[in-house]
Amino acid sequence: MSNSKDNQPPQAPEAETGAETGRAGDDGRGMASEPMKHYVSDAPFDPYTVETLTPEQERYYLAGQWKLMWWKLKRHKLAVASGIILLVMYLSIIFSEMIAPYNMLNRDIKHIYAPPQGIHFVHDGKFVGPFTYALKYRLNPQTLKREYVEDRTKISRVRFFCSGQSYEWLGLIKMNFHLVCPGNGGTMFLLGTDRMGRDMLSRIVIGARISLTIGLIGVSISFLLGIVIGGIAGYYGGWVDNIIQRLIEIMRSFPVLPLWMALAAALPVTWSPLLIYFGITMILGLLDWTGLARAVRSKLLALREEDFATAAQLMGAKPKRIIGRHLLPSFMSHLIASATLAIPTMILGETALSFLGLGLRPPLTSWGVLLAEAQNINVVALYPWLMLPVVPVVITVLAFNFLGDGLRDAADPYK
Amino acid sequence: MTVSRVLLLPLLGGVVAATPALSQTYIDAPSLQKLVKKGKLKPLAKRLPETPRVITVAGKGRVAGRHGGTLRTLMARSKDTRIMTVYGYARLVIYTSDYKLVPDIAEKIEVEGGKSFTFHLRKGHRWSTGKPFTARDFEFFWKDVANNKCIYSFGLPNNLLVNGEPPTVEIVDKHTIKYSWSQPNPYFLPALAGPSPLYIYMPFHYLKKFHPKYSKKVAKKWKKSRKKGKLCGKWARKFRKRARQYRFQNVKLPNLQPWVNTTKSPAERFVFRRNPYFHRVDENGRQLPYIDRILLLIADSKIIPAKTGAGESDLQGRYLRFSDFTFLKRSELRRKRFTVRQWQSATGAHVALYPNMNHKDPVWRKLFRDVRFRRALSLAINRREINEIMYYGLAATGANTVMRGSPLFKNAYLTAWSTFDIKKANQLLDEIGLTKRDAQGYRLMPDGRKLEIIVEAASEGTEYSDIMGLVQSTWAKIGVRLFQKSTRREMFRRRVYAGLTHISLWSGLDYANLRADLPPDDLAPTGEIQLQWPKWGLWYESRGRRGEKPTLPKVIRLLELLNSWRKSTDTAERTKIWHEILSIHADQVYTIGVVGGVLQPIVVSNQVRNVPAKGIWSWDPGARFGIYQMDTFWLDRGEKGQRAAKNGKK
Repeated sequence: MSNSKDNQPPQAPEAETGAETGRAGDDGRGMASEPMKHYVSDAPFDPYTVETLTPEQERYYLAGQWKLMWWKLKRHKLAVASGIILLVMYLSIIFSEMIAPYNMLNRDIKHIYAPPQGIHFVHDGKFVGPFTYALKYRLNPQTLKREYVEDRTKISRVRFFCSGQSYEWLGLIKMNFHLVCPGNGGTMFLLGTDRMGRDMLSRIVIGARISLTIGLIGVSISFLLGIVIGGIAGYYGGWVDNIIQRLIEIMRSFPVLPLWMALAAALPVTWSPLLIYFGITMILGLLDWTGLARAVRSKLLALREEDFATAAQLMGAKPKRIIGRHLLPSFMSHLIASATLAIPTMILGETALSFLGLGLRPPLTSWGVLLAEAQNINVVALYPWLMLPVVPVVITVLAFNFLGDGLRDAADPYK
Repeated sequence: MTVSRVLLLPLLGGVVAATPALSQTYIDAPSLQKLVKKGKLKPLAKRLPETPRVITVAGKGRVAGRHGGTLRTLMARSKDTRIMTVYGYARLVIYTSDYKLVPDIAEKIEVEGGKSFTFHLRKGHRWSTGKPFTARDFEFFWKDVANNKCIYSFGLPNNLLVNGEPPTVEIVDKHTIKYSWSQPNPYFLPALAGPSPLYIYMPFHYLKKFHPKYSKKVAKKWKKSRKKGKLCGKWARKFRKRARQYRFQNVKLPNLQPWVNTTKSPAERFVFRRNPYFHRVDENGRQLPYIDRILLLIADSKIIPAKTGAGESDLQGRYLRFSDFTFLKRSELRRKRFTVRQWQSATGAHVALYPNMNHKDPVWRKLFRDVRFRRALSLAINRREINEIMYYGLAATGANTVMRGSPLFKNAYLTAWSTFDIKKANQLLDEIGLTKRDAQGYRLMPDGRKLEIIVEAASEGTEYSDIMGLVQSTWAKIGVRLFQKSTRREMFRRRVYAGLTHISLWSGLDYANLRADLPPDDLAPTGEIQLQWPKWGLWYESRGRRGEKPTLPKVIRLLELLNSWRKSTDTAERTKIWHEILSIHADQVYTIGVVGGVLQPIVVSNQVRNVPAKGIWSWDPGARFGIYQMDTFWLDRGEKGQRAAKNGKK
């Protein structure tokens, strides 16, 4: 909308203010409180100028709801930035194995608890491009700490678009292509290694796959349940609504974490990690729909009294059609905004469960699993880089919150 | 036990204890002197037995100490008050630091043929309440408690029975008690000297109030409840609860330990005060213990290493693990307030796998009972890698057997079936007939199910699961898939007993310097608690009433060997029996040891004196710090500290 401001005809500002205040109907006529400057126009008088629309105005007034939302969202800088971050993150989970410099499960016994390795560019005063120095390992005999010193004589240049450790892409295709690899014979632990000598960066990158999707899948489940149950409650009202509302109240009065824990502990151990993953998502989704159901119900209660709903009813539409075709679309945008805000809850839920040792199990890796491994004093005091998975968790949760915020503002573009 | 043993015990006692006090003037602790002055406590000479046990503290790096001070130590649960019975280690007989039995609470013990044991008590020995400790307390235990069907509803403790035969107990005089059996009972003295000891005495003067024989009130109530058809009323349960001497939970229960609990459970902070009637003095005549108070501070077990590193514990071993060593050592170097010592942990294996040979499922059971299967599992563990990754290569790798340093140790026991050999392991599994594999290359069981072994462990932290992860990757190479499951301790045991667990992960043999004279019970199916054969153990424990009879010939042989060990009284013969037991274990791989000899960090505050630099961290025999006589530890706070402490008390 900002680009339409430059070449605006005199009437346009009025229309603009009208649009912005969300009262498109009265064309802002009641708003003009200041007297307009007096001038004489040479143009022939055309009594219909007020009613003909400029192309910009036309675009605006004829734009669909989604388009309006998009325009509004675009102006929320933080939300756009968050959206881009999330988009990049979600794209990355498809190519996790290629982005990770190492195979996640690879144990490098010679580099246990290696600290993050720096990337250097200049060696001996000469520019060589990105490279790492080799790490020299020494066991401190007094404290039994594994200490690493950079060996400034041995350099290994970082390779790009290279073949490195083999992996199964998405568990299907055997490949060994990586975006970045350590130099031949060298190491590149950008975020250090853990107690088994596994590269933390690779684990975080691959852990993102589960941590990020668990939110999406969980929210889809709770979305579905919320819409169906909330829709029924809101449309029918009366005793149906009453029962469902009481049920929701009961569910909401449970302390969530213990309930998650109980359900997660009940998942059989023989299940493959993948099944466990779906089990956990189900648990998170099954317990989270109540908020959405409430939102749907209250919106429906209000909307079903509208004229268009009555009209549809009179024309003989079935409840399913009325809810699905007439009522839901009128507040879908709002629902999507609240769903976005629900995703971080899911991600945190998974993190919390895994942190407590009840969620995902190795060899699956999620940020929660990584954090669970970092919960002791030794890590805090000696190997702080193992706590780095906190960073992506915080970034994701914040990004989702900002985006959700922007979406919520944009959801009602006429406001 | 030979006749020479008859002489041996009093003799040894003579060296350490029985010399009638060299210095007739005893030195009381300043904190108690105040009470004596106020008239609240009798003078020390009247509190000590006529012949207190004199401990020569000085020597071997130890020095005689001073009285006073408070020692803090961290524990994880209110239940841990019992650890002070372990650390305190006052028993009728105790082990010295070189694992010899000497009389302690008893002044003298006469043993004849391993069959009869005569205890001579110290005249004038008193309970922590000041009431005399005499043969009456033994009589009360034997007649009114041990043989009371309501209190000991399961019958006598196993250590008091020889082939089901109870002892003959004679109260010879006020200070002499005799326990005798028609056959030797080699368990009796070790049980009395255990960390959780067998008690054959109970404070009569306190407990009689709760016993229907001596209390009319209790008797009346019991009569009432009997009319209702209940054989034993509530009193028995209450009595048992009050009379648990090991637990230190009943604050009013008189005790003989160096420190007694003064805080009711549950609490966050337990104060143990010195027992003013404790029966030991040092060579200078100072009554032991040196330290006035022990504070047990309760904290979450995960926080304990951090708190210890911050200097909140003066003496800590429990709840510290080898993986905490680096952190603790770093705090030591930074703060210089304590030292971290490396004691040897006394487990035969720090971590061992226990295949459940009593599994419910017949197919699994058959597999676990097949020695080739167990051998294959053992061969497919890369112990060196585990050692390198988790223990800096400082642990010992090998099977679950006696620890290096024990006179019974042989290298062959350690190395049997414990080298890393995937080829051999695969060959063994093929031999059993586990040749079918699924699409991913994992083997199938004879009935077509997947060979998926669930290893269960009851532990917090990542140590066990890391080991499992490493084992998992090498077992995959022999086509065995491993899943890990961690459960709570109660659940863990219950599942094993019910035969639901495939393989459990637990620490290995908890034996220190194993001697031929120590019973080999843990190596034969004698208890339900044994994770590799709970039902066979239960069968033995319940004398054939419950559980299942062992069927494997080698296991039956173990029981035979155990019996012949019991009958034998000769150390050489016992050594021979021990070796046969150990070699059966090495060959049959009933338990699969992973690593052993892991070091135990012990944090000792700079003030604390007399804690040995090198020691063995052992439960039985050893009682952790008990064997190193915690009552001889003392706090060296310099002149300033002493004064500050005095002022602080005022």
